Amino acid sequence: MKARDLVFRSLVFYARTHAGVVLGAALASTILAGALVVGDSVRASLRRFADDRLGRVAFAMAGNERFFRAALADELAARLNLPVVAALQLPATATTAEATARANHVQLLGIPPDFWKLAGHPASFADLDTNTVLVNERLAGQLGLQPGGTLLLRTPKPSLLSREAPISPQEDASTALRLTVGAVLRDDQFGRFSLQANQVAPGNAFVSLAHLQARLELPGRANLLLVGAEPGQAIATNRVAEALHQAWQLADAQLELRTLPATGETELRTSRVFLEAPVANAVLEMPQARGILTYFVNELRCGSQSTPYSIVSALPPGAYPGGLADHEILVSQWLAEDLSAKPGDSLSLAYFVVGSRRQLEERQHTFTIRGVIPMTDPLADRQLMPDYPGLAKADHCRDWDAGFPIKLDRIRAKDEKYWQDYRGTPKAFITLGTGQQLWSNRFGNLTAVRFPAGAEATSRIEARVRESIRPAGVGMVMQPVREMAAAAATQGQDFGQLFLGFSFFLVLAALILMGLLFQFGVEQRLAEAGTLLALGFTPGRVRRLFLLEAGVLVGLGSLLGVPAGCLYGRAMIYGLTHLWQSAVGTPSLFYHAAYPTLLAGAAAGAAVAWASAWWTLRKQFQRPVQELIARGAELEPAGPPLRQKTSPEMLLATFALVGGSLVMGAGALGTDYAAPVFFLAGALFLAGGLALAGLLLTAQATADGAAHPGLAGIALRNAARRRQRSLATLGLLACGSFLIVAVSVNRLDASRQADQRRSGTGGFALVAETSLPVVHDLNTPAGLEFYGLDATALAGGSAVQCRVREGDDASCLNLNRAQVPRFLGVPPEALQSRGAFSFATVARGLPADQPWRLLSRAGPGEPVPVIGDAASIKWAMGRSVGDLLTFLDERGRPFQARIVAALANSILQGCLVMAETDFIQLFPSETGCRFFLVDTPPAQAAPVSATLTRAFRDVGMEVTSASRRLDAFNAVQNTYLSTFQLLGGLGLVLGSVGVALVVLRNVHERRSELALMVAMGFRVRAISRLVLWEHSYLLLGGLGVGTLSAAAAVLPALRSPGGGLPYVPLLILLAAVVSHGLLWTWAVVRVALHRPLLAALRNE
Amino acid sequence: MAAQPLLLELRNLAKAYPAGEEGKPLAVLRGITLGIAAGESIAIVGPSGSGKSTLLNLVGALDHPTSGEVLFHGRNLAGLDELALADFRSREIGFIFQSHLLLPQCTLWENVLLPTLACPGHKPVEPAEHRATRLLARVGLKDRANHRPGQLSGGERQRAAVVRALINSPKLLLADEPTGSLDRAGAQNLAQLLLELNQEEGVTLILITHALELAQRMGRILELVDGQLHPAQP
Ligand SMILES: Nc1ncnc2c1ncn2[C@@H]1O[C@H](COP(=O)(O)OP(=O)(O)O)[C@@H](O)[C@H]1O
Ligand SMILES: [Mg+2]
Repeated sequence: MKARDLVFRSLVFYARTHAGVVLGAALASTILAGALVVGDSVRASLRRFADDRLGRVAFAMAGNERFFRAALADELAARLNLPVVAALQLPATATTAEATARANHVQLLGIPPDFWKLAGHPASFADLDTNTVLVNERLAGQLGLQPGGTLLLRTPKPSLLSREAPISPQEDASTALRLTVGAVLRDDQFGRFSLQANQVAPGNAFVSLAHLQARLELPGRANLLLVGAEPGQAIATNRVAEALHQAWQLADAQLELRTLPATGETELRTSRVFLEAPVANAVLEMPQARGILTYFVNELRCGSQSTPYSIVSALPPGAYPGGLADHEILVSQWLAEDLSAKPGDSLSLAYFVVGSRRQLEERQHTFTIRGVIPMTDPLADRQLMPDYPGLAKADHCRDWDAGFPIKLDRIRAKDEKYWQDYRGTPKAFITLGTGQQLWSNRFGNLTAVRFPAGAEATSRIEARVRESIRPAGVGMVMQPVREMAAAAATQGQDFGQLFLGFSFFLVLAALILMGLLFQFGVEQRLAEAGTLLALGFTPGRVRRLFLLEAGVLVGLGSLLGVPAGCLYGRAMIYGLTHLWQSAVGTPSLFYHAAYPTLLAGAAAGAAVAWASAWWTLRKQFQRPVQELIARGAELEPAGPPLRQKTSPEMLLATFALVGGSLVMGAGALGTDYAAPVFFLAGALFLAGGLALAGLLLTAQATADGAAHPGLAGIALRNAARRRQRSLATLGLLACGSFLIVAVSVNRLDASRQADQRRSGTGGFALVAETSLPVVHDLNTPAGLEFYGLDATALAGGSAVQCRVREGDDASCLNLNRAQVPRFLGVPPEALQSRGAFSFATVARGLPADQPWRLLSRAGPGEPVPVIGDAASIKWAMGRSVGDLLTFLDERGRPFQARIVAALANSILQGCLVMAETDFIQLFPSETGCRFFLVDTPPAQAAPVSATLTRAFRDVGMEVTSASRRLDAFNAVQNTYLSTFQLLGGLGLVLGSVGVALVVLRNVHERRSELALMVAMGFRVRAISRLVLWEHSYLLLGGLGVGTLSAAAAVLPALRSPGGGLPYVPLLILLAAVVSHGLLWTWAVVRVALHRPLLAALRNE
Repeated sequence: MAAQPLLLELRNLAKAYPAGEEGKPLAVLRGITLGIAAGESIAIVGPSGSGKSTLLNLVGALDHPTSGEVLFHGRNLAGLDELALADFRSREIGFIFQSHLLLPQCTLWENVLLPTLACPGHKPVEPAEHRATRLLARVGLKDRANHRPGQLSGGERQRAAVVRALINSPKLLLADEPTGSLDRAGAQNLAQLLLELNQEEGVTLILITHALELAQRMGRILELVDGQLHPAQP
């Protein structure tokens, strides 16, 4: 007979005892494998979503408000030998024909037929005709659309000149399209197309590119360029960028180079009116280039005479043959006559500048007339007027759309005549320096650059302009979207780890339970072990035999854990897509398990189970052989443990309790890390409490008897009898209840103190988001009036308007790792003066008293200060406060941003907030505001919300209560907590089953003592009570130690807004565990004591 | 002696255990009739499996007879319900078994006082603590009150078990092979102690033993053979 046979015989003989061990190991493997499978599934789902949304698209250039030539796609395709598609991508709002349903954040895509070649599974949708729209499932679902149904889309009519620029027309701000739904596209039909990584599909509407170009009056233009590649085909970003550089033309940046027939000069101008700074700077470096700034002024006045609405040019001094000083002005003959002005007179000029909210501010500047030029002078050049969209094509002055109310009564017949004869010929000239001082704005400070005739050939100039600007200079940057999507999906929220964390306690409980069962089995067989020892086996060898046996059991268990883990994983995915959907935001996660993952989970389960068997066995078999043989299962501790002066437990208890108090004291003094510090204190208390419980049990085992012993005291003594067993159960319950209570304090309730500034809502009642930008100031009557509202619309409240640069949602609502987060441009002062929101952390070394002020940049070279939500920074972006991050600005130039502070759980989750001034510099073409924090008396919130929704319908405003929005964010964390609590609660239930097992075992071991007590005349009820008491000590002691230590850990959270213990659910949970444990104990006692005990008294 | 009122009277006592798999019920006791006066000391001997423990359990109200009656002070135990029987055991009977069955985690003091917890309402003439001190001193364990059973020798443990059996001042002490796990000297000592306590405390003693030597020191010896009790030759 070999050791193998011995192990086999034992396995068969003790099959019943072993079942518990197999079950324990199976449970551990199931939970571990299942948790990992959840991670696999989420990752696989995110990868599939990424494939679905991008198809074959590897690079993309989203121009937003920049419209390049659609033909660029073909030129690029030729150079790259890859499919390239140009499309239009615009925000839109959608309604059904009867306006029964509405969707605000719709992505309207004007696409050519080739677009479908970029789909993952090339699908062909015949050339879309003008009235057809294809919608994706999300949009169809939102609006209840069927093929054949009617869809109304409203989208901003893009203007080449930003609506925030001066002299920008405001009429016709949006275009409506009435279309018939041709088909509803599934995800695998490219319906999910999006450049943003998010597991929630956008609402997509696909229409014919040609049709959209026509409706938007953008013939031949596009703002989205997609470069396709075969799956797995690697293409260097450089190569694409280089090809773009080769292919792009000035027209793609709305730049135009033309020769002026009158003078032979070459002029660079733009349909955006103002040359962007990078373009202007690059071009001005070329020899002989002259910058020109031409502006529209409201009035030219000389004494009592005035001329309305005129064009004035600012030219470099060299342009004036006689020279011109900065305070001087040259007037045209026409103007001099109109104003009866002569050289030396002072002439004042009134003009509008535009504030950041499109508030028009009229300013004045006074000049001295230097001279009068005849209308035939070359300076009087009607080409100087830039192509103001609202002016250039007007036949009459009264048709002008300058973006502000033109006072028609001021326009005289002679002004109309001038417009007929001279169009926009400037009536006056000043120096460029002065002009730029007066009229520079964020869109630029030049309207044209001219090169003298004969300086260089136009084609040479063009080549040099193209060379010096490069496409990135005008915001044409190819993003490696496929790479970014892969990164976003793989670095995304690791649900495997998350669920491992959630299941941690459950695994622990399973292991402790298994350890107990294993130990019982071993104890039953101590005599066998003793016999082996007597036969000459060494203790080590006996232990190895037992471990070998355990190994077989554990292996068997973990094999069972593989299929069970799959089921468990499926159950978790079902939970995530059904019960806990608010944590993932999508019902479309699917189950996916990779074999290595399952095996890893099972192996880990086996390893920990085997380790716990090893732990159980580590001190067995060291007793004298005779004792092992003679006493076997009935083995009692030989005597009380020796009283030691300082036991390790004493040290641990003292250290942990004192340490915990110190840490807590330090925490109470105030620290940025209150939560972790208090958690540490709680954990120390837990350790100390457990050590104390151990000491108490030891003391019970050695203390002198009470003079008047009672049943309760005897029960306590009994609990001390199997110290390790008692401590295991007590510890299990303590750890479990500690975790559950300590963690549950993180449950967030947005409605608590929602009206307070320091709460997560910032004290704002409403949050509004629009699909299309709002350029007016909602805090002025004029701004409100523009949207047909009167001054009372906000019920005496006000709004903080924020600019938005779309990016990946960096909030917990996005399972992907945000690659480029959404940026918000806020007016810091508006938030600081309100004291809105509270801050979790402020970067080291910065003053923490007015964190919003930290958004103002120290100097132009400094990193841009940004503020984010603490959770978003940490989890969604994987960063921390103080970090320097590099992003690309609108023109593709890298800029550095430093996270200066983190907000405590707020409605600003998911984005990085910067000062509006920085925002405008970095993203100048992001027009207007699309995010609004609205202050209004709580009682007025509902009517104000209704008013805003109605008035801003055309820009797709969605108004939500701030606390509801916060709730949506909180729901994620709360759902995680529920999951954790559910699994933790299961662990505790398992723990209370452990108590019952211990009871069973204890009662079994003490059968004869209990029988003796019956003989002594104890009633069975009294004996049950004794046993029940003994085990209630363990149950209540464990829960008590755990809950009290947790109370220390959660102290700071109790004091923060939005925090607070969910007392009721917690109490219910703890009560459930206690009653569950007591129920089991009671049942076991009943069953055990019901059997005739007498047999136990028999002497044999 | 005959004038003494009977403490215990067994009338035609029979006990049969339900049969196992096959066969008829196992009749262990077949009509035992016996009277025992207060203060007597009786040894019951008989081969192993003859039903000695069964008889003792019936006397101690731990089990019910198949037929016949057990009268204690003239009162029929059959008329008592479980609660009354528990009460009866706690006040009137003291048990000693071969195994001491002391609670290992409790001190001797607690162990000997354990039976007083069985019926907390009971107020004996002599307070339990007083009696415990006295009896522990009497059996020579005065200084060991705070020791655990694990720290005592086998004989000492059995003596502690004797004190525990006597703590409630029972009228009847039932000892089922109490010396079974002791060596010869230990057995002699224990028997001597039991006899002395029988005298001093006036407690009636029924002792089951295999050792004839011990049995012969008792007032009378009864032998259990074939389910019947016969007086044996001392
Ligand atoms: N609970 C029981 N069920 C069935 N048979 C029993 C039971 N208790 C004792 N017996 C049987 O009754 C007989 C007498 O047992 P017992 O009174 O313990 O003998 P003694 O104490 O004289 O050795 C034995 O044959 C034993 O097997
Ligand atoms: Mg017997």
